[in-house]
Amino acid sequence: MPDEWSQEILKRLAGLNLSPAREAEIVEEVAQHLEDRFQELVAGGATEDEAHRVALEELSGEDLLARGLRRVEQEVTQEPVVPGGGGGGNFLASLWQDTRYGLRMLRKNPGFTAVAVISLGLGIGANTTIFSFVNALLFRPPAVGAPGELLEVWNQNIRGQGVGRYMPLSYPDYLYYRDHNQAFSGILAFDGDPRIVSWSRSRQGERAQAGFVSANFFSVLGVKPALGRTFLAEEDQAPGAHAVIVLSHAFWVERLGSDPRVLGKTLNFNGTDFTVVGVAPAGFGGLLVGIQPDFWTPLAMTPALTHDPNYLTSRQSFWLFGVGRLKERATPLQAQAGLRVLSRQLQQSYPESNKELEAATFPVTLVPAPFRGYVVAFTGLLMVVVSLVLLIACANAANLLLAQATARHREMAIRMALGAGRRRLVRQMLIESTLVALLGGCVAFLVASWLAPALLTLKPPSLPIKIDVPLDWRVLAFTLGVSLATGIVFGIAPALRGAKTGLAPALKDEVWIGSYRKSRLRDVLVVAQIAVCSVLLIGAGLCVRSLLNAQSIDPGFDTQHEMMAVLDPGSLGYSEAKGRVFYNELLDRVRALPGVASASLAGYLPLTTEERVQATEPEDHPAPPGHPPGIDNTDVGPDYFRTMGIPLVRGREFRAQDRPGAPGVAIINEALARRFWPGQDPIERRVIIGDAHLEVVGVVRTGKYRTLSEDPLPFLYRPVLQDYRPRCTLVVRAVGDPHNLLPEVRRALQALDPNVVPIDLETMKEYMLLPLFPAHTTGLLLGAFGALALVLAVGGLYGVMCYAVSQRTHEIGVRVALGAERRDVLKLIVGHGMLLTLAGIGVGLAGTFAATRALASLLYGISSTDPVTFVSVPFVLAAVALAASYIPARGATKVDPMVALRYE
Amino acid sequence: MPYMEPQQSDREWKKGSAELLILSLLEARPRHGYEISKLIEQRSQGTLRFYVASLYPLLYRLEKRGWVQGRWVEKSGQRRRRYYRLTPQGRKVLASQRHGWQVFVEAIERITEVEHA
Repeated sequence: MPDEWSQEILKRLAGLNLSPAREAEIVEEVAQHLEDRFQELVAGGATEDEAHRVALEELSGEDLLARGLRRVEQEVTQEPVVPGGGGGGNFLASLWQDTRYGLRMLRKNPGFTAVAVISLGLGIGANTTIFSFVNALLFRPPAVGAPGELLEVWNQNIRGQGVGRYMPLSYPDYLYYRDHNQAFSGILAFDGDPRIVSWSRSRQGERAQAGFVSANFFSVLGVKPALGRTFLAEEDQAPGAHAVIVLSHAFWVERLGSDPRVLGKTLNFNGTDFTVVGVAPAGFGGLLVGIQPDFWTPLAMTPALTHDPNYLTSRQSFWLFGVGRLKERATPLQAQAGLRVLSRQLQQSYPESNKELEAATFPVTLVPAPFRGYVVAFTGLLMVVVSLVLLIACANAANLLLAQATARHREMAIRMALGAGRRRLVRQMLIESTLVALLGGCVAFLVASWLAPALLTLKPPSLPIKIDVPLDWRVLAFTLGVSLATGIVFGIAPALRGAKTGLAPALKDEVWIGSYRKSRLRDVLVVAQIAVCSVLLIGAGLCVRSLLNAQSIDPGFDTQHEMMAVLDPGSLGYSEAKGRVFYNELLDRVRALPGVASASLAGYLPLTTEERVQATEPEDHPAPPGHPPGIDNTDVGPDYFRTMGIPLVRGREFRAQDRPGAPGVAIINEALARRFWPGQDPIERRVIIGDAHLEVVGVVRTGKYRTLSEDPLPFLYRPVLQDYRPRCTLVVRAVGDPHNLLPEVRRALQALDPNVVPIDLETMKEYMLLPLFPAHTTGLLLGAFGALALVLAVGGLYGVMCYAVSQRTHEIGVRVALGAERRDVLKLIVGHGMLLTLAGIGVGLAGTFAATRALASLLYGISSTDPVTFVSVPFVLAAVALAASYIPARGATKVDPMVALRYE
Repeated sequence: MPYMEPQQSDREWKKGSAELLILSLLEARPRHGYEISKLIEQRSQGTLRFYVASLYPLLYRLEKRGWVQGRWVEKSGQRRRRYYRLTPQGRKVLASQRHGWQVFVEAIERITEVEHA
């Protein structure tokens, strides 16, 4: 019987156009009811026929079922959006409703949501990552009390330019400022240079980093010790009298195992016993980003640790960073004016050292004021790059939304017909785009939390800095802000477009006719994407080429077979005589090691951060008095050029005989030979450096000395044996892999004196990471962001092409039906794609010429308008775009005209 | 039981009160459509009747508005049936309709009593 009921019910539902599932449900339920009724009637005594007739009559009365159902099924769901409801009191409630509705729509289109979220997540993630660095370097205040009251104090050379015009303070300058100023409640000073010292721990040297600070360092900063006390004023008076230290929290935890009885214990650094008087609080690492001393000791202890008394007496040694805390009512301007007066007094009293120096003050951040400009410029460039990447991602998401808006014309029209205002519809769509962007922001945070630490590994290990890149509330706020802005930027055009629905055509299902014509906005977006992408790709291309250039620049010495170690026995108090013995012994032992081809010493290696420039002139035609040129020089040992692989062009290397008492000799490079004696043989000619007259005994090939990108620089070498330096670099040439020698050399050193700790011990290849660091970073970052931009832009183009093809299926079907060939269809679609691509590249090239100027200073051996890059990148871009439009085009050629025409 | 043609007045009454009746019946526990129609008939002692053709559209409308929710329930040895239960929103609507109805009925009573007096 139930089947029969079903047939009857189905008959009555025929005109309703219900979905099959819905229809089946209704049939099942109502049939069950009829069956129940039938059984009841039969049980009540009716015959089966009678019961059957009654049940059917109850079903059919006046066509009630069909009419009632039609009303119900066509009643639009009472979605929150439909009625206006925009009154003031309801605003929040309706916003919440819109948000919930938006989330539902996103769940309904998981493909769209995923693509848009990932695209935006990568774009925003790149921004978050770079911002996390900007935040770490520029925005994060030091971990001290009331950092806003602190001012940096610098010497400013009134004739200087750029970063070079700012100099730290000398110790006597500092004392004068500290004791005579009116505006600061205190001025502290600290050594801005990390000092590597040797910590003699159970007769074994370990590296540690010392920070020299004034006694008031902690009290002016408002930093309370975690254990013990900080320094007393009297501990910073007589040089070397109070060997006391405050440990950093990290050192105390990691190297001393959080020893609770550490106070009062002594630690031996560079041969001097220091008493621990306190432990700094966790998280405090001083005032400089990247530099976190293991312990602090009063300035008065500097001579004891460095064995150089000049630091505390010389007015010429500018080594102290000053920071003052303003008194309660004082303003920064008053403070600066007060210090200016003091600096003029110093100018008059000490013209020799202070003639052109004037005090300058700046707010305190973790990057010292003079260097902030560089950090701002570099991170600013990166921020521009990543915002361009984000623009491309936005265009992608906007395109997706536009496609959605077209598909949702009907929905919008129905809502409008039911009384929703245009503003409400725009708001609804903006909420959806913002939700997508916020989800993208969540992805971005994940991207950044992975990418920021990954970027830190680009730092060469020999760079003695530690940088924290915390994803703190500032980064979170930035990401949130960017996400919200992104949601509005990429959502506004599709939202306005979507709400501009003509009611009648949309309800009549005529959307598809208009939609293709109306995709001009989409085309403009693609052109913009390609344009931005070509700017980024060309920039990336330039940087990658520059990186390759930098790596292939010949530094003038072999980088494959050497290892090096920087040593400073002088800091352990070695006298010159003891130091000479030490280096001789060391060279003998190292040369005896298996696998060592040769070994030598140098005052400093090329491409390090050190340089020594001295007035130098040829003896046979001296420069006019007072104007001898400054020439870079260093001291090197016998065998240095062979060990370093620097070709000797004429003459000889230094020998063991070039010792004190023997005639003074020098070796020069070809650039200096050309400068002093153009076209002549420089051998046996003499140069004057200060009081020394040196005979030129050899000429070597010119290399790179200060930077990889420098022009040929005149350079002079003196024998280290004639000009003793306590701090030297040991270079060793290996027969095989120099890496294998590192432990051997370390052992040889320990056998000689376990307390001499190598400051750097690495292969030359590792050493070269430092000079290559700028090229590496820009090349890698811009290369990676360029690749990301390409992927996003091509993905966007592909999506638009696919969409265009799907919208034109009908048109293509008509064309094919009318006899168009496969080729014609291909031409139609690919032609459209290429038109957009070429327009984009054209716009992009124009912009790029302007934009890459900014890169000029970062590029090695390649101009910012390098023709190879400017030609090849657009070709690559066009080729990839061709592929992106070919794939959907090929799909279009397979359109069956019959199927396509049925689309109507 | 002989079949009776529904009276005209019957349909008028139902129009205003049908929703209230169904919601009230679902207040205590979920019920299926046939059960609802039987209960209306029994409790009104035959005065009110909901036939299948008008009952189900009404149930679907209430469901669409979110006042009731239908769920297929299968009991052993029986065909599955769709049971309707009151949603929290339906419960609120019921309260307000019930109140409105009482006010209405009281008003009518007062008027008709005056007529009789």
